[in-house]
Amino acid sequence: MKKNTFIAIAITLVFISIIWIIFSPILFQDTHAEADQQAAHKGFFAPSFTLSTPEGIAHSITDYRGKPVLLFFWASHCSVCKATMPKIESVYQEFSSLGFEVLAINTTNQDSLSAAKAYFQAQNYSFPMLLDQDGTVTNQYLIHAVPTSYLINPDGKISNVIIGSGISDGFLRAQLNTLFMKGEE
Amino acid sequence: MFPILHIGPLAIQSAGFTLLFSFFIANILVMKFSKNLGTHAEAIENGLLYGIIAGILGARLGFMLKNPAVFLANPLNLISLTPSMLEAGFGLLTGILTIVVIAQKKHLPLWPTLDTLSPFFIIIFMGIHLANLANGNAYGIPTTLPWGIPLWNAIRHPVQLYGFILGGMLLVSLFFHTKFLKTTGFRHSGVLFSVTAIGISGTSLFISAFTAEKVLLGRFDGRQLIAFIVLLGALWLLYIRAYPGLKKTNAIISMGSNLNSKQNIVKGENLLAENFHIRRKSNIYRTEDVNQNPNTQAFLNRLFELETDLSYPDFVNRLKAIEKKLGREPGNKTRVAMDLDVLTFGADVFSSAEKQIPNPDVLKYRYLGKLLAEMAPDFRHPATGISIQEILEKMPDKSQITELSEVEDGIEG
Repeated sequence: MKKNTFIAIAITLVFISIIWIIFSPILFQDTHAEADQQAAHKGFFAPSFTLSTPEGIAHSITDYRGKPVLLFFWASHCSVCKATMPKIESVYQEFSSLGFEVLAINTTNQDSLSAAKAYFQAQNYSFPMLLDQDGTVTNQYLIHAVPTSYLINPDGKISNVIIGSGISDGFLRAQLNTLFMKGEE
Repeated sequence: MFPILHIGPLAIQSAGFTLLFSFFIANILVMKFSKNLGTHAEAIENGLLYGIIAGILGARLGFMLKNPAVFLANPLNLISLTPSMLEAGFGLLTGILTIVVIAQKKHLPLWPTLDTLSPFFIIIFMGIHLANLANGNAYGIPTTLPWGIPLWNAIRHPVQLYGFILGGMLLVSLFFHTKFLKTTGFRHSGVLFSVTAIGISGTSLFISAFTAEKVLLGRFDGRQLIAFIVLLGALWLLYIRAYPGLKKTNAIISMGSNLNSKQNIVKGENLLAENFHIRRKSNIYRTEDVNQNPNTQAFLNRLFELETDLSYPDFVNRLKAIEKKLGREPGNKTRVAMDLDVLTFGADVFSSAEKQIPNPDVLKYRYLGKLLAEMAPDFRHPATGISIQEILEKMPDKSQITELSEVEDGIEG
């Protein structure tokens, strides 16, 4: 390619790029407002639901606005879940006084209710166990595998989705430390 | 989307799997390309692998430095195998630094190495977009276009697919220009890398407009601006690599003759001196015909380092003219009055239909290696960065060669 041809092409490319950058915000409006919608994805509001404990006490996600919440989807046949929950319990003990909440949502439609109840009571967890009897919430949150964890910010927006064993106590502590430190400032 | 792949009892996160798979494919293509270009495949592969490992370790370390309390409470967290406690920026930094250190240590030449990595950059670009499609990240803005995809409560631009498809087009064009990774397809080192960088940054700049999650700088999209800066840099790089202008190139050539060889070697040197500035020359050596044809007389060989401001094709034509002047008959391989071969041409690494530079013979024939080591003990192979001493050590050709003065001593004695 001749040097002058190259320079002409390069200048054209730069020119088109500048036009595209200038017109992008005009042609494709900033759509941050749409994050007001609910979706099971980081940055969106957590889809609202109401579920009950085995004792029949209803918990609604909207009741927890203003607090960081961990939704932990689990089943009694899942060994990773059972290995993770004691760690969540220890973090919960540490941070519940600051307002941290944990909702352990049992995927009851794919689990044995009696086995789940027996396990949960035997372990003496201090956070509530919610029953998703017909799987509506599990579908709503696009659960493809247990455990899946949703960490929800006090403003009700999802800050992290962690599939599998990635939800360690260290990770949770780091997130909560950052969150509560910000709150104090 | 489909964040999980179920294979029997295994639930694999498809995004992570996609990235791993694209790394695997990228590595295969880079190895193939590296072998065809003659760059240091082993060092490049190691560099990539150690870079990834260092990147992951660095990401964990970065997370620890940001959250020291977590690790003071439970130091085992440092080595826990969970994929979440990672700090991307710090990981990227340690990964890149590791690769730079390895490249320095191995004396990998910058531009030929980056050219070799061109398919790597494109495949990883495609892999990232496919992974984003798998877990629904980096989603697009809502659209009414017929090819919109339902995602997160809206029909959206499949911006991840745009990236994947445009990346695929870059890959096809790379295959086309390199004859499926056989040559760089361009004469100067660094040109292929610059073109790749232009392609990737241009694509990012274009598709960023359709993404919903923007990092706004004023009223503009931060990622678009970064892509624009990279694009400008890549264009400038292409300009200086493709059009180096009038600069002096140091070319190393070999001279050989087996017909009136003593006279022709002297005449040849005189003609070279008329045309070029001779920087260095080796002693004259006597070698048997490399084709081991019994009818071919032994050759006298000598190396020259020349300084020229000619382009490669002009330089070769000038050498051909000298060969002709001294009575070279084209095609006659047994009686060669004068043979001038380019071994290296500056730092350039390329292969065209008839010629590969640096000349592969440098790695093949002992007589060339030995003369090179004598004339230029500081020589490093422009494509691999391997020193001439190491090249000689690893050379399979163990044939003997003798210096001309020793031959004459033998005859006289």
